[in-house]
Amino acid sequence: MHLSLLSSSAQGFLKFERDSVPFFRGFAVSADLVGLAQMQLGDYGQYEGALRLNLHDQYFPILEVGIGRANHKDDEVTGITYKTTAPYFRLGVDFNIMKNKHAPNRIYAGLRYGYTSYKVDISRQPFPDPVWKWDTSYGVVDEQCSQHWAEVIFGIDAKIAGPLHLGWSARYRNRLSHNDGQMGNTWYVPGYGTQDTSNLGVTFNVIIDI
Amino acid sequence: MRCFCLFAFLLFLAACSTIDCPVQNRVAVNYAVKAFVGGVEVNDTLKDTLYVWTTRSDNDDTLILNRGINVSSFSLPISYTHPEDKLVFCIVDTNDVAAIDTVWLKKEDIPHFESVDCNAHFFHTLTAIRSTHKAIDTIIINNPNVNYDPSLEHIHIHFKK
Repeated sequence: MHLSLLSSSAQGFLKFERDSVPFFRGFAVSADLVGLAQMQLGDYGQYEGALRLNLHDQYFPILEVGIGRANHKDDEVTGITYKTTAPYFRLGVDFNIMKNKHAPNRIYAGLRYGYTSYKVDISRQPFPDPVWKWDTSYGVVDEQCSQHWAEVIFGIDAKIAGPLHLGWSARYRNRLSHNDGQMGNTWYVPGYGTQDTSNLGVTFNVIIDI
Repeated sequence: MRCFCLFAFLLFLAACSTIDCPVQNRVAVNYAVKAFVGGVEVNDTLKDTLYVWTTRSDNDDTLILNRGINVSSFSLPISYTHPEDKLVFCIVDTNDVAAIDTVWLKKEDIPHFESVDCNAHFFHTLTAIRSTHKAIDTIIINNPNVNYDPSLEHIHIHFKK
């Protein structure tokens, strides 16, 4: 009985509401500010924009594209330098889970599929072998890597004035498959974040309705 | 206010980072002392005292295994990027008579990366091994993959009785 209640609740916010509002309600473009801030404040981040369709204020197919970049030079403990720059995309859909679908503000739950193909440079200044003392070179240049992942999203979208909205989203990312090249692992994956089987992310978006 | 607190909490979670360097991060070649009994290879123990040294880049010798007594297995370091390691095994019996053998270990070296927070390491694939035979009867590669796994027996070594 509990499961059927949950199922009917999920079907509730997915169910198309028949009313006089047109099905196609336009589209919106947005830019993420969290990735920008990461780029300014740390060694990695991304420039990301999105195009979102509005279907009846209920369903929002979305395409997010961006360029992720990492430039971690001479780590102060390990001396490792890590560089990568690559595009990525995420394709998905958001669902408005507000009771009043046509309200100016929205609460979303959504899903994404993400993919990136990127090259990494990993290096370290030559260092002596601990036993034999030979100078050792370490690193790789232009190592080809790739990753597929899925995201579950929860977010809000608040209308500020006219076509301007501000919104944030929290994302749980899960890696589906990955190729980390010959060195076994990578660190920053464009669009995904620092490497792990799963991680949490946040975006803060400036959105313009078109 | 509640939404702001939830957002701040999620931002904090997303900002947290962990350093996930493996606890077991020693790369070494594991030798197992073996003997043939009835044509079957079984575990054995070296009753003599074993010393192993190698020659550094400055031509000085360095001891890498000191006074191994009753060893049935032992681990030796492996060079990061030299194509062939040369090791000198000195086996001293109970009468203080020493026998010296040289072991040459050829390998391929693969740089290994975990994270920018974790030290640089190398994994290796052992390709060939040979030795002189004053005290060593047979030496063979059992598992060529040298990585963080300490349970792998890379080399099986048979000493003369």
